[in-house]
Amino acid sequence: MISDFTYLKPGSAKEALKMLAEHQDDGKIICGGQSLLIIMRQGLVTPEYVIDIKKLKDLNYMTFDPKDGLKMGATTTHRTIEKSAMVKEKYPVLVEMEEKLASIQVRNWGTIGGNLAHADAAGDPAPVLMSMGGSVKVASASGERVISLDDFYTDLFETAMNHDEMIVEVIVPPRPAKSATKYQKFNLLDSDQGIVAVAATITLNGGGVCKDARIVLGNAASTTIRAKEAEKVLIGAKLDDAVFQKAGEAAAAECQPVADIHASEEYRRHLISILTKRMAKAAWEQAKISG
Amino acid sequence: MEKQLLRLNVNDQNYEIYINPKTLLVEAIRDHIELTGTKRGCDTVSCGACTVVVDDMAVKACSVLAVQAEGTKILTSEGLEVNGKLAPIQKAFLDEGAFQCGFCTSGMLMSSVAFLNETKKPTEKEIRDGIEGNICRCTGYNSIVRAIDSVAKGKYTEDKV
Amino acid sequence: MNKYTVINPHEPFKVINTHIHNVDGWAKVTGRAAYTFDIKLPGMLYGKILRSPHPHANIRGIDASKALALDGVKAVVTGKDTLGIKQGIWRRYKDLCDEQILPVDKVRYIGEPVAAVAATTEEIAEKALDLIEVDYEVLPAVFEPLDAIKKGAPEIHEGFERNINVTRHIEWGEVEEGFEEAEYIREDWFRCGGQAHMCMETRCAVSSYTPDKKLTIYHSNQSPYYMQGLMAGVLDMREGDIRVVAPYVGGGFGGKFELDGAIFCTAILSMKCYKPVKIVYTREEDFIASKRRTPMFYYTRTGVKKDGTFCAREAKVFTNGGAYTGMGATALYLTGFFHSFPYRWKGYRYDGYRVYTNTLPSTSMRGFGAPQAMWCSEQQIEWIAADLGLDPIEMRRKNSHQEGTILPGQATIASCGIDQCYDEITKWIKGKGKLPANRSIGISACGFMSGGIFNWFDSPYSFSSAVVTINQDGTVELHIGAQEIGQGSNTTMAIICAETLGVKVEDIKVHSGDTDHCPPDLGAWGSRQTLMTGNATKMASENAKKQLLEFAYAQSGLNIVYDLDIKDRWVHAIARPERGEDFVKLVRKALRGKDGQKIVGRGYYTPHRKGMISPAYSYMLQGVEVEVDEETGKITLMDSMTAHDCGQPINHLGLIGQLEGAFSMAAGYGYLEYMPYEDGKLMNPNLVDYKMIRAPEMPPANIAEIDTYEPEGPYGAKEAGEGLTNPTAAAIGNALFHRFGVQMKECPVRPEMVVNALKEKKEKEAAEKK
Repeated sequence: MISDFTYLKPGSAKEALKMLAEHQDDGKIICGGQSLLIIMRQGLVTPEYVIDIKKLKDLNYMTFDPKDGLKMGATTTHRTIEKSAMVKEKYPVLVEMEEKLASIQVRNWGTIGGNLAHADAAGDPAPVLMSMGGSVKVASASGERVISLDDFYTDLFETAMNHDEMIVEVIVPPRPAKSATKYQKFNLLDSDQGIVAVAATITLNGGGVCKDARIVLGNAASTTIRAKEAEKVLIGAKLDDAVFQKAGEAAAAECQPVADIHASEEYRRHLISILTKRMAKAAWEQAKISG
Repeated sequence: MEKQLLRLNVNDQNYEIYINPKTLLVEAIRDHIELTGTKRGCDTVSCGACTVVVDDMAVKACSVLAVQAEGTKILTSEGLEVNGKLAPIQKAFLDEGAFQCGFCTSGMLMSSVAFLNETKKPTEKEIRDGIEGNICRCTGYNSIVRAIDSVAKGKYTEDKV
Repeated sequence: MNKYTVINPHEPFKVINTHIHNVDGWAKVTGRAAYTFDIKLPGMLYGKILRSPHPHANIRGIDASKALALDGVKAVVTGKDTLGIKQGIWRRYKDLCDEQILPVDKVRYIGEPVAAVAATTEEIAEKALDLIEVDYEVLPAVFEPLDAIKKGAPEIHEGFERNINVTRHIEWGEVEEGFEEAEYIREDWFRCGGQAHMCMETRCAVSSYTPDKKLTIYHSNQSPYYMQGLMAGVLDMREGDIRVVAPYVGGGFGGKFELDGAIFCTAILSMKCYKPVKIVYTREEDFIASKRRTPMFYYTRTGVKKDGTFCAREAKVFTNGGAYTGMGATALYLTGFFHSFPYRWKGYRYDGYRVYTNTLPSTSMRGFGAPQAMWCSEQQIEWIAADLGLDPIEMRRKNSHQEGTILPGQATIASCGIDQCYDEITKWIKGKGKLPANRSIGISACGFMSGGIFNWFDSPYSFSSAVVTINQDGTVELHIGAQEIGQGSNTTMAIICAETLGVKVEDIKVHSGDTDHCPPDLGAWGSRQTLMTGNATKMASENAKKQLLEFAYAQSGLNIVYDLDIKDRWVHAIARPERGEDFVKLVRKALRGKDGQKIVGRGYYTPHRKGMISPAYSYMLQGVEVEVDEETGKITLMDSMTAHDCGQPINHLGLIGQLEGAFSMAAGYGYLEYMPYEDGKLMNPNLVDYKMIRAPEMPPANIAEIDTYEPEGPYGAKEAGEGLTNPTAAAIGNALFHRFGVQMKECPVRPEMVVNALKEKKEKEAAEKK
C-alpha cells in the first residue's frame, strides 16, 4: 500500500525546483512513475511530498544541432524518442534500444529523465547513452550543472545528484565520423530488462584502426559501468574477431555481477563476454560504413 | 489524508470524484467511477490487465496516479461500443475467439485499439510486439494476433463506429 | 500465420463444429463480465490475511488486541476462532484431510495463513496485519522430498513416517518377463520443476453470512459444488445452507478447486461480523500461498527389443508434496498412469511417493501429473531410438495404443487416432526441408483422459447433471453445474443442447456457476466436462425433445414407422422434411397439453465399467522447431505443429484456442516457468521474475485435427486442451538433443543449463580424446 503523501503540481520547472528545495529530504519527483510507483507500493520509498513534473511543457522537448548534438528535456517519453525520425537518422541505436524497452504502455508514459534518475543498473537507456558519451543536466533552485553519465551513478539506485536536484535535460554529443553504437541485452522475454546488457561504441580512424571505444555494461555491477579494460583492448587495435574475443574476456573479468535466480555470477560473466564481443563487432561493422 | 476533488473524463463522460492523491488511475476507474471492465492482475506493472487508452496512448492504469490523468481523455473497454454496436476490434475478438477467461481481455482490447490507431498495415511481428505488455494465460496469443490482423486488413471497415 | 486442417472430417451437424461465437463473448469483450474480483456488496468489509514468515513453526500464541483497537477494524480471526477441522478434497480418506486453512497450532510453509482481518477498507486491514503479534516457536524445516524421507528429518505431520504422505502402486502385465525379453534397457533420473497456475484473476472471494444462518459465497473457482461441500464440512453446516456462486472466473488451470484462504477466511470473518467480507489475493500472495504444479524426481527404466518393440517399463517417483495433500494425491496417481502412455507394454510398474515438505503445497495443474511423466518418458524414448539407431517416430508408432488396446485393470481404449497423428507430424517435418544450422525439431507424443472416474470427494450425486427447460417462446434454459472458467464449457453445452433439440445457439440460455440454481456437477477438472456434462446435457435435451415429439406425433397422426426430428427450429418427419411445423408453435401447443407446465428434460452422467481412470482418451503429437543461440543458450521457439485426436470436435474455435493456450503453458513449463525456493521461500513471486510466454515468444501453432468417434462421448467427443499441456516440454528437450546431443534431465531448461550442458559435453569429449 502506498503511504499517504501531499501531491504538488508545479506549473514550471522553476517552480518544481523551488518545491524540491523546500522538501528536499521528504520530497520526491514523480514523472512517468513507471518505476517509482512500484517501489512506493512496496513501501521502499515513502515521500511526504510528491512533486509531479510529468506535464511540464518546459521540460518536454527534443532538439538536435550538429555542434551540440541531441538535447532531450527530462519529461520526453520513451515513445517520443522511439518514434522520432530525427533520432532514427542521427542515433539509430537509441530507437533500437527504445523499441526493446519494456512494453508500449510503459514507453508511452515513462520518461527518459525518470528512467535515468531511477538508477536501475538494469535500465536500458543508461548504457547506450553512456557509451555515446552522454550526460545529464541537473538543476536545483540555486543553479544547474552538467554531469557526465560516467560520473552519474554512484551505487545501487544512487546518483551523484543532491536531494534538491533533478534531471532537466539529457545531452548526447554529436556522433563522430566513422563511429557507431550498438546495444544488446540478454533476456528471456522480449519485453524484459537485461539479465546483462552491453552497449559498445566504436570510432575508427581513417586507416580503419580503432580510435576510440566505449564499452558499457548493464546489470553487471551495482551500477551501469564502463568496461575500461575491454576498451583498452580495442583502442588502437586493428579490429578482428580475435580482438573482439579478447575484449569480451576483459569485460567479463572486470565486471562485478551478482548471482540471482536468473543467472549465476559465472554465467553473467560469460554473457558479458559474448555480448561485448558481439556488440563491439557489430558497432565496428556499422562504423566502417558510416560517414 | 484529506481527499481532493479530481475531474476525469472517461469514455466521453465527465466525472467528479474525491480521492486521496495516492489513488492510482486504475483504482479511480474501478473503485470510484465503478467501471470494472478494467482489471488488475499484478502489482509490478507487468500484466497489462489494467491497460486503458489515455489521449490515444495505451497506458497501464496501475502505473499512473489518477491525479496525473486530469485533463486527459480516457477510454476503457466500456467505451468501445457505441449505442450497443460493437467496435471492429470487439467483433474480431468474437470471430477469432481471442479470449477465454476474459480477465485480460479489456486490457488486451485497449492495447489493440491504440496499436491499430497508430500502426497501419502492421506485420505479424509488429502486432506481437504491440501486445507484449499484456499477459494472457489462456489463449497463447495467436487468436488475438489474428483478430488484430483481421481488423488491420480491413475486414470490419464497414463496422467502424 | 497459422494453419488448421481437419483430417477425416465428419460433419453431419447443424450446430456442432460450425462457427459459433463464445456464448459469454459479448460480456467479455465489452467489459461487462463481472468476476468475483469485481463484486461489491452493500456494507462490504475488506479482508487481509496475515501469513507465516516461517516454513515450520508452532504457534504459541496470537495477540490481536492492538489490531482490534485500530479504527475501522471489525474482526480478527485465527485458527482458534474456527472449528479446527482438518479438511481435504480427498474427503473419503480421513488421513488425507490434513489442512485447516487457518491452522490452530502449527504452520508448515511460508505464506500459510495465520490470522485474518476484516476492516472498512483494504488499507486499514493491511495496517492491522502489522499490529497482530504472533509468538512462534520456530521448528527445523525440510524442503526437498529426498531430504524429507531421510530418517530423522523434521516431522511435518504427526504419524506420517518419513513424511510420506501418499504412496501409489500401479502394475499390470508381466513386468519381469518383459525386462527379461528386452535386448536393451535404459534407466534415467529426471527432475521436473513446479509451475504456477498464474490465473489472471488471483484467488478471491466475497462471503456474506446472514442472521438466518445462511452463507452466500462468491468465489473464483472451478467447482462450486466442491466448494459448497468442503465449506459445509469445515463450518459444520448443511450444504444446502451454503450457496456458492462462481461468476465469470478469471482462469483456473487446476488451481481453483480446493479451499483457499480467500474463501475460508471471508466466511469465518463474515460469520463473526454478519457483514459481507471480500478478500482478493495480491499477485505475490497468489504465488506464495495458492498451490502449484507438483515438482517431481523421476526414475524410469525401460526395456525394448533391438527392433524397437517396447517390452517393459518401471518407474519410481518422489514428488515434492509441500505442506498438505490437496489434489496432489491424484497427481501422484495420474503421473504414474500416464507415464505408460501412449504405448503398449508387456508389463508396466509404477511406485509413487508423495512426500511432505515445508513448502507451498503442490497440487493438480493442467495436465495433472502428465507433463512431468511425458518430460521423462518422451525424452528417454527419443534417446533409446538414438541408442539403437532407430527412427524415433516409427519406433513410437509401432508401439502406440490402437483402438481396442487394453491396459489391464485400468482402461480399454475405444477410440484412438494417434496413427494419423504420426502421419501429420511426419508431413510437417518433411515439409520444412533442410533447417538452418541453428535450428532443430523435437517431437513428443501423449494421450490424456476425458474426465476422471474418481470419487474421492464421496459425492452421492451423479458426476454431471443437466436440466433443459423449454419456454413458451421456444427459448431454452439449460441449467448445468459444469463450471465455465474460460475453457468454453458454457458454449460447448449450448452447442450440444442446440444440436440435440434442433434449435439455434442463440435460443439457449446457459445457467451455470451457482449451487442454488444449478444441479450438482463435479466441476471443471481433469478434462471432464465436455464428455460428462456433455452427455448429461445431451440426455436432458433428448428427454425434452422426446416430450415435444410425442406431442407432435399425436397431433400429426403419422404412421409410427416414420421418425420425427427437429432441425433449425423445424419439426418434421425425416422422410418428408418439407412437411412440418415451426418449433415455437409446437411448443405453445404442447404446453397446453401439459396443463401449462413447461417442458423439462433431465439428464445425468456417471461413468460405469470404464476402468479405473477415465471413460475415454485423447491422443496427440506435438512438434516444435527450436532455435538455440549456442553461445548464450537462449532458446527461441520458431514454429510448432500439433496433430490431435479429440474425437468429434464440438466447437473448433474453442478447440483451436484450447490447443494454442495449452501449447503456450506447456512450452513455458519446458523452458521458462521456474519456481526456485531458498529455505522454503519462493524467490520470484511476481510477474517480473516469473517468466511466461508473451505474444512475441509464441510461435505459430499449426494444428491438424484428426476426427475420430469416441463411443462414450457426446456426439463422439472427448478431451481437448488439457492433454496438450503434456508433450511440449519433452519436445523442446528432444529438439536440443537433436541439435547438440545433450540430454536435459531437468525442466524448465534455462539457458544457463544449456550452456553448462554444452560445456560439459565438450569437456567430456576432450577427455575421451585423450
